[in-house]
Amino acid sequence: MAGTVIGEGLTIEGDITGDEEIVINGNLRGRLTTTDAVTVGSTAIVGADITGTSLSVAGQVTGDVTASERVDIQAGGKLIGHIKAARFTIADGASFKGNVDMEV
Amino acid sequence: MAENSVIGSATVVSGHVRGAGALEILGRVEGDVTVTGDVVVGPTGRVRGNISAAELTVSGQVQGNLRGSEVVLVERGARVVGDIASPRIGIAPGALVRGHVQTDGEPALAQASFVKRPAVAARVGAPQPVPAALLKAPHKAEPRRLEPARSPPASVAAEAESAPVRPVKAEPRRPPPPVVPVISKGTKAKKKKSRD
Repeated sequence: MAGTVIGEGLTIEGDITGDEEIVINGNLRGRLTTTDAVTVGSTAIVGADITGTSLSVAGQVTGDVTASERVDIQAGGKLIGHIKAARFTIADGASFKGNVDMEV
Repeated sequence: MAENSVIGSATVVSGHVRGAGALEILGRVEGDVTVTGDVVVGPTGRVRGNISAAELTVSGQVQGNLRGSEVVLVERGARVVGDIASPRIGIAPGALVRGHVQTDGEPALAQASFVKRPAVAARVGAPQPVPAALLKAPHKAEPRRLEPARSPPASVAAEAESAPVRPVKAEPRRPPPPVVPVISKGTKAKKKKSRD
């Protein structure tokens, strides 16, 4: 079970800092920093820079992403921003605009 | 449908939290929490900011005002520094609260009176038919009324007895009289003269 869940219908305006998995199905405006995985659900609208080990996007994200492991944009997901990650996948049907830095 | 939200024990949110649905706070929130659903601040939860919710349960620490549109419950082990306002408020033994506490709003009072009124009517209504059926019952009721009337004179007498006791109690408070030696100058000489 995820440590932190921001449910659908909930809005956070500010920073989230954590040492556990974070699942966002609601709205977030600010910054998101964790030492674990981040999941952005299909109902989520996130306007924040995200830092974590891995990021899975099924909703909308606007902001720069820094992941120590990987970033996956699922089908239907939308990401606008620069990505810095060792591994990066974009599923068929996903939207993406931004630079990718795979630390080559 | 609004789903349940959780702010985990290892998570810090610095900013405002708004919206619908239930929210469980096990971590730290530095900012206001305004939710139309229920909010639970767990034992590990710490909130620095005002919380507004329908049903608010606090087991952790809150530094800010609590507002519940239905009920606010401050559980054992909770620490609240701030004002509490809600139609229903519960503060458990072992909870620490510092601030103004006010129960307001009609819905809770209306519910309470609806529950109490039938219960009181049932209690009063049950004994009344029994004395009405038995004719001797009124006579039995009269001496019962006299009994309490007798007791007041007894208490008056007790007061009268206790009244003179008061000055007696006041006397020992005075310092003891000084001890003056009875033997005055020249008594030994008088004794010698009497021997002679």
